[in-house]
Amino acid sequence: MKRTKYALLGIAVALTVVVVVSCGKQSPTATKELEVACFKGGYGIDFFEQAAREYEKAHPGVKIKVWGNPRVWEQLRPRFIAGNPPDLTYPGWGMDHWALVYEGQVIPLDEYLDSPPYGKTEGRWRDTFEPSLLELCQYQGKTYMLPYFFSMLGWWYNKDMFEKNGWKPPRTWSELLALCEKIKAKGIAPITYQGIYPAYAVSGFLIPWVISAGGIEAFDNAQNLVPGAWKSPAFLKAAQMMDELRRRGYFQEGANGMDHTGAQMEFLSGRAAMIPCGTWLHSEMRNVMPKDFRMGFFLPPVLDEGKGDPTAVGIGIEPWMVPTKGKNRELAIDFYKYMTSLEKAKQFVEQKGTLMSIRGSDQANFPEHLKEPVEVFRRAKTVWSVEYRQWYPRLGKEVEDATAALLAGNITPEQFVERLERAAEATRQDKNIPKHTDTRGQAR
Amino acid sequence: MTSQARSAFMAGFLLPATVLYALFVVMPVVQAFAFSLYRWRGISANRTFVGLENFRQLFADPIVWLAIRHNLLLFVGTSVVILAMAIALAHAIGHETGTARFLRAVYLFPQVISLVVVAILWMFILNPSFGILNATLKAAGLERWAIAWLGERSTALASIGVAHVWHALGFYIMLFAAALRTIPPDVMEAATLDGAMGLTRLRYVTLPMLWAVLRIALVYMAIGTMNIFSLVFLMTQGGPDRATEVMLTYLYEQAFKHSEFGYATALAVVNFVLVMALSGAILALFRHNPQEGRA
Repeated sequence: MKRTKYALLGIAVALTVVVVVSCGKQSPTATKELEVACFKGGYGIDFFEQAAREYEKAHPGVKIKVWGNPRVWEQLRPRFIAGNPPDLTYPGWGMDHWALVYEGQVIPLDEYLDSPPYGKTEGRWRDTFEPSLLELCQYQGKTYMLPYFFSMLGWWYNKDMFEKNGWKPPRTWSELLALCEKIKAKGIAPITYQGIYPAYAVSGFLIPWVISAGGIEAFDNAQNLVPGAWKSPAFLKAAQMMDELRRRGYFQEGANGMDHTGAQMEFLSGRAAMIPCGTWLHSEMRNVMPKDFRMGFFLPPVLDEGKGDPTAVGIGIEPWMVPTKGKNRELAIDFYKYMTSLEKAKQFVEQKGTLMSIRGSDQANFPEHLKEPVEVFRRAKTVWSVEYRQWYPRLGKEVEDATAALLAGNITPEQFVERLERAAEATRQDKNIPKHTDTRGQAR
Repeated sequence: MTSQARSAFMAGFLLPATVLYALFVVMPVVQAFAFSLYRWRGISANRTFVGLENFRQLFADPIVWLAIRHNLLLFVGTSVVILAMAIALAHAIGHETGTARFLRAVYLFPQVISLVVVAILWMFILNPSFGILNATLKAAGLERWAIAWLGERSTALASIGVAHVWHALGFYIMLFAAALRTIPPDVMEAATLDGAMGLTRLRYVTLPMLWAVLRIALVYMAIGTMNIFSLVFLMTQGGPDRATEVMLTYLYEQAFKHSEFGYATALAVVNFVLVMALSGAILALFRHNPQEGRA
């Protein structure tokens, strides 16, 4: 028995020595290591890797490991739970960002946003961002996330088809109805949509028309869960407009059964003339896009006598954040400052063909398909963003389900708004759901 | 070897597997039962004990009942079709000719394809615009029938059922083909001599001889349909308007989209109990071979 004890003790000592020796070997000089975990979507992660190499070159002794994949959020969840998150992360659309905020897993960044931008000794980093985008990152007055690129939501049309037939992108509801009739007469589906993912129809039809009918307040009140807001006349009007398009047969037959790529293929192949989608459409479909396909972007047509700002545009961001339990907070911030410097932002715009949250980055050379969106954004006096979907996922899901039902003709516009209000009421009453009260949809 | 030494020897062989099983199978299950008693966002170590609150909420959640109904509908619908087709086809390809061997391979083919590919394949077939199904219907002059199969509340679940049958059928054909081969030829011969042919022979001779396999097949089908996920998730996302929501897609939504891990684990526990209960019920219901008493 005694002998076993000694043997165990010996093993323990040996192990300790090994551990101590190997630890000692790892830090000969003061190397600082930074781990950056990114969502690998349509724009890849090569840009961030490249930025890391440049930053390392400028800062000897710093080592940055950038990694990522298309489902990075799944790997990040256990890391957050274990208290061992990366130093900086862009967890992607599959991560519940606000849950990270509620759980104190990411830090408020205002102190850093008030410090100078990368390589500068004065000025505020905050002022280099497009302010309307930075505001989307706030909760109870603090900023927890950082925008990078952003997308705009609108409608795309088939340019060649329109030019050949002498059609113009419709600006108003009556122009839309008249145009749809002409398109339909040609045997082409006027509008298609990504039916299996009703979020596209929500941000492509419902919200723009709510804003057009009731002004941005109508949407703000809904997002802020003001009682009755989800069944206000503006929501009813928007629902009636969607229902009217359906009844007139202006939506592509079967669109309710198509996923996003399916519907987008219908548009690219010329079987449908228009489709609601974000500015990511080009990068998502570039591999299957006919070579000479030309598409144009425009805002969803507004009501002829609408209350809302006709230049209002929907935007969306995929934010970055700094985990509370990251080991190199200061370095993470400085690296992100580098990535958001005007020079890097312009490079991102040119290499990836998307819009950036950094002011002045729209002076870069945009690819053809982004020229119209950029113009739309420059003209926009109001921006809005579907925030309730991230704040209150259950409400978001119900709005999408009801939208699918409305577009399939299973429920009436009246039943539709009743359903939305019921879902909003349930969220309002649920004490376990943290509430956001920040008003959005501000003038720029 | 003394009996004690023999026990020790046996324990030595059983121990590693038992430890691994306990660690990676039993532990997570027990843990899941524990997590279902908490409110937990699944994003930090932070969680609040809420007792049976998740279960109370779950039983009052109409979507849970809807999902269970869809699971059961899929089970009943697909198992009837699979059983009928599998037994018939197993019968048809039971002999040892080249054609039969070839067909056996063909029928097993869907089984070896990844479910993701199966889902994509069927989405193409059912595509309302260029899908082969609607094209065929239109060519046959049945334009009214050419609909968005996955977009309509009335047909979405059935469409998923069809894809599931297509994928699962091969396995059951193999199962029944193997079982058929275990029936002694002289039994069949005797039945034939007694004048039992066709459906009569199937009912009074073949089926009773297949009873044990039939029972197991039903349990497999119950597990398969109660735990169906990939096909639904990829083909419809549980839509349109929850018309194809099943337990596991709802669980996924709660856990990963709504960050309600406690609630999701409660759903997992309920689903586990349901599968166990259903399997137990099938085993009990089919315990007695109805023909055994007569033999």
